[in-house]
Amino acid sequence: MAVRAGEAAGSLGAEAATTPSLWSRMSERIGPGYLFLTPWLIGLFGLTLGPIIYSFYLSFTQFDLLTSPEWVGLDNYQRILTADPKFMASMRVTFLFVLFSVPLKLAFALAVAMLLNKGISALPMYRAIFYLPSLLGASVAIAILWRTIFSADGLINQLLWTAFGISGPSWISNPNYALWTLVVLSIWQFGSPMIIFLAGLRQIPQDMYEAASLDGASQWRQFWKITLPLLTPVVFFNVIIQTIEAFKSFTPAFIISGGQGGPINSTLFYTLYLYQEAFGFFRMGYASALAWILLAIISAFTAISFLSSRYWVHYDD
Amino acid sequence: MAYSVDRRQLLLGGSALLALGAIHPALAQEQRLRLIFWGSQARADRTYKATDLYTKANAGTTIDGEFLAWADYWPKLATQTAGGNAPDIIQMDYRYIVEYANRNAIAPLDEFVGSTLNVADFDQAQIESGKVNGKYYGVSLGANSSAMMVNKAVFDELKLPLPDAKTTWEDFAKLATEITKAGVRRGYYGASDGAEVEPFFENFLRQRGKALYTADGQIAFDATDVSDWFDMWAKLREAGAVTPPDIQQLDQNNIETSMLTQNKAAISYGHSNQLVGFQALNKDPLAITNYPRHAADSKGGHYRKPSMFFSVSGTSENKEAAARFISYFVNDQEAAKAIGIERGVPESKAVREALAPTLDDLGKAAVNYVANLGDLAGKLPPPPPNAAGEVDLALQRKAEEVAFGQQSVSDAGPAFVAEATEILKRKS
Amino acid sequence: MTTDAVVTAALKPGSMEAEKAAQRPFWISALIHAALIGACFIMIYPLLWMIAASVRPQDEIFTSTGLIPSAVDFGSYVRGWNGLRVSFGTFFLNSFVIATLCVIGNVLACSLTAFAFARLEFFGRQFWFGLMLMTLMLPYQVTLIPQYVLFLNLGWVDTILPLVVPKFLAADAYFIFLMVQFFRGIPRELDEAAMMDGCSAWRIYWKIMLPLSTPVLATAAIFTFIWTWDDFFGPLIYLNDMRQYTVMLGLRTFTDSTGESDFGGLFAMSVASLVPIFLFFLFFQRLLIEGIATTGMKR
Repeated sequence: MAVRAGEAAGSLGAEAATTPSLWSRMSERIGPGYLFLTPWLIGLFGLTLGPIIYSFYLSFTQFDLLTSPEWVGLDNYQRILTADPKFMASMRVTFLFVLFSVPLKLAFALAVAMLLNKGISALPMYRAIFYLPSLLGASVAIAILWRTIFSADGLINQLLWTAFGISGPSWISNPNYALWTLVVLSIWQFGSPMIIFLAGLRQIPQDMYEAASLDGASQWRQFWKITLPLLTPVVFFNVIIQTIEAFKSFTPAFIISGGQGGPINSTLFYTLYLYQEAFGFFRMGYASALAWILLAIISAFTAISFLSSRYWVHYDD
Repeated sequence: MAYSVDRRQLLLGGSALLALGAIHPALAQEQRLRLIFWGSQARADRTYKATDLYTKANAGTTIDGEFLAWADYWPKLATQTAGGNAPDIIQMDYRYIVEYANRNAIAPLDEFVGSTLNVADFDQAQIESGKVNGKYYGVSLGANSSAMMVNKAVFDELKLPLPDAKTTWEDFAKLATEITKAGVRRGYYGASDGAEVEPFFENFLRQRGKALYTADGQIAFDATDVSDWFDMWAKLREAGAVTPPDIQQLDQNNIETSMLTQNKAAISYGHSNQLVGFQALNKDPLAITNYPRHAADSKGGHYRKPSMFFSVSGTSENKEAAARFISYFVNDQEAAKAIGIERGVPESKAVREALAPTLDDLGKAAVNYVANLGDLAGKLPPPPPNAAGEVDLALQRKAEEVAFGQQSVSDAGPAFVAEATEILKRKS
Repeated sequence: MTTDAVVTAALKPGSMEAEKAAQRPFWISALIHAALIGACFIMIYPLLWMIAASVRPQDEIFTSTGLIPSAVDFGSYVRGWNGLRVSFGTFFLNSFVIATLCVIGNVLACSLTAFAFARLEFFGRQFWFGLMLMTLMLPYQVTLIPQYVLFLNLGWVDTILPLVVPKFLAADAYFIFLMVQFFRGIPRELDEAAMMDGCSAWRIYWKIMLPLSTPVLATAAIFTFIWTWDDFFGPLIYLNDMRQYTVMLGLRTFTDSTGESDFGGLFAMSVASLVPIFLFFLFFQRLLIEGIATTGMKR
């Protein structure tokens, strides 16, 4: 038995398990893990770390892409944190976006996933249709469409007028409302987290529900006591990922506002501002500093989430 | 950094080989030139017709063309340049030529002028416009001037006179207000709100004897100019002559979203070589005209500028071959027929004359507009400084703030001047 | 084998739900369907608009708001397909090749990596996991230039290698993280049972983990395909030769804010470009949902 356990735990270790040598103990601890990690490690050291470190270096320089970078120390960071009104504006826009789009998007995704999980007829068709918006992605066509729908006499206002007699403003071109049209766009594309929730729901063993039903548990109780707890790893994933993606959101704002972040910076997402600085104004060093500040913020958020996950995420291992 | 040193060595070696090839025809390899330009497939079709003609006439040379939309072009070009990988022939814009020239991302062409590169019958001013620090960096591909695009059908319907070379700001305001009042269509206004259109602002300044920038890259206007400009538009907004702010913001400064195309206003603003593009998207017939004068005798607001250039990459190994192609592109009459006036009015006099009979009405209108500006046109301003793009963006934002009531006209003037000065002062 | 039974039971498709559905009163079903259909219309209205825009006259696209075009003209499809020097067929092929390679790379490489993080104990695991997450957080705009120079020096620019090779090296931390979460949801008893039978880590991975993870693998395949298909920035930077362009890149050349644009062609080709990814999705979603109840664990 012990011999077999030794074999199983580390294919590299083949010593007698009763007194495993240092080598086999070490390779048990290290062996298969690192073997499996090899592709990722090659990619990390070969393709990713170099550019990441270089971008960190760039954040302390002034780099216009056309000539060599010039060291300026902490100037970039200092300007960002003390003297840059666009930084504050873009932070505000991005935070608002994250705060509103992520919870709503996940709520829709979960609700629809649960609905679709209930054995409705024509399920595959509905599922495909709900996923369609995500397929359309952030293309030029969608941008044109979104602007058309949310403009002064676009579809939304037409509907508001015929249904409620309200004469709506031109949502997409008004600085007070433009951001919310992007929030709606993000929520409309809830297909991706929905699919993930569906996959997670599918992974919950049916016999648990059967046993609970036999015990007389109501639907609501089953949801609360079985579904939700077993779904928490997936919920956790979606929360983390959607938040990171929302912080980094670029293409919708880029295409819909035509790269300007307008009107009046109301859709100046952080990464859009970064992109303007890097490629619009040839300030790659400054843009790199902006990127690392974003990284710091997202890391802080992620770290807090991971720490808190101890209390509400249930893994089966 | 270590990478770029290797690259340069490679390039030096490469150019040495090619130089050998030039001297010894037996060693000469087939020449491959890379060309990059922005535009749509319409422009690409024309351009490739011209490159096909060139490769037919010059056996042994091939031209690999790449084209992208404007918004994608600049990041890609910047990335390629950063990697030392830029194409040989680069389409360049007035806004960026100074940046690229100052960083040696494009090469001076003086050594080729007169021999490989023939610009003898170009207007001297247009040649000057392609110079940075006295060296020649960009060969103009066509002249254009800023213009107003006008919906002829609406004016005809209301029996109003089309704006022309004599129209003053008062006339303009009157016409626009009347159009709005007549209400020919739902939610229709006389003109698009032009407060954030930089060429229009520049025209305004020039008629006052001012300018956007001085030769050494400082702003050449003051807070009063700005406040007057914003005030003028505020009054037009109040009178209902121009589109209100939240409608105006639907306009993203391109042809398809302009107030004219969107059927919200009878007048929009653009450049003369865009007339064809505008007409393609508009059902109603359009006319082209100039910006209004301050008074009957004020002048010099407009200027003929190169719509775009061809430049040669600083790291190109085939500079002379590239120059030869550019010369062909701007001088050959067969090529000119393929290219048309889509990039602007050809700079070469001979080409203009050869092309004139082949133009349709729209083409003629655009060409005549530029040719007949008369005293409306003044001297070409110096090339804009590096941060001009950012100042343009700041103007747009300031105009939006005023339009939406977030800042008063009198505050906006000093605020914008302060912002523009700070932008220009900032080390990149 | 008890493990077999557990596996198959765990993955039986919703038989219980099917029973419940059959017992549901008709009017509730009708209500649910009505709500779903209404929601569907909202979801696909933009697509319907795009289809309408692809067949209506160019000067009507931006000026009319209804869904029904005044005239139906498929010329945009023909023009869009052949209008560029390189036919759209080539673009479709390029996109397909790149996307397929990326799917294979991602599924293999990310599952290997995720298995290590989720199931194996090794020194420094927490540290590497944190690093992996960090790569997810940095916006790509900043590593763009250094990576470009790196690929340039490798001689990979103007090929599809910069777009495909990173997938085989598990560069998409998103999927690693996703799979880790899923793997951790699979009961450890299965692993332990297998280990008692003398399975090596590799066999556990290949014979137990992967078969049980079909939902998440299918998810990864779908997302990878769609995101790669929709990506334009990567191809923009790394592909110079128009014959190698992808569909998204080709679409972007249809419009140019400074001159003439072909909007009919843009919308026509946008609609056309949806077809492959929609088909891919339909094909793989069966795997996503049905799991692998029948194959269980082969020995």
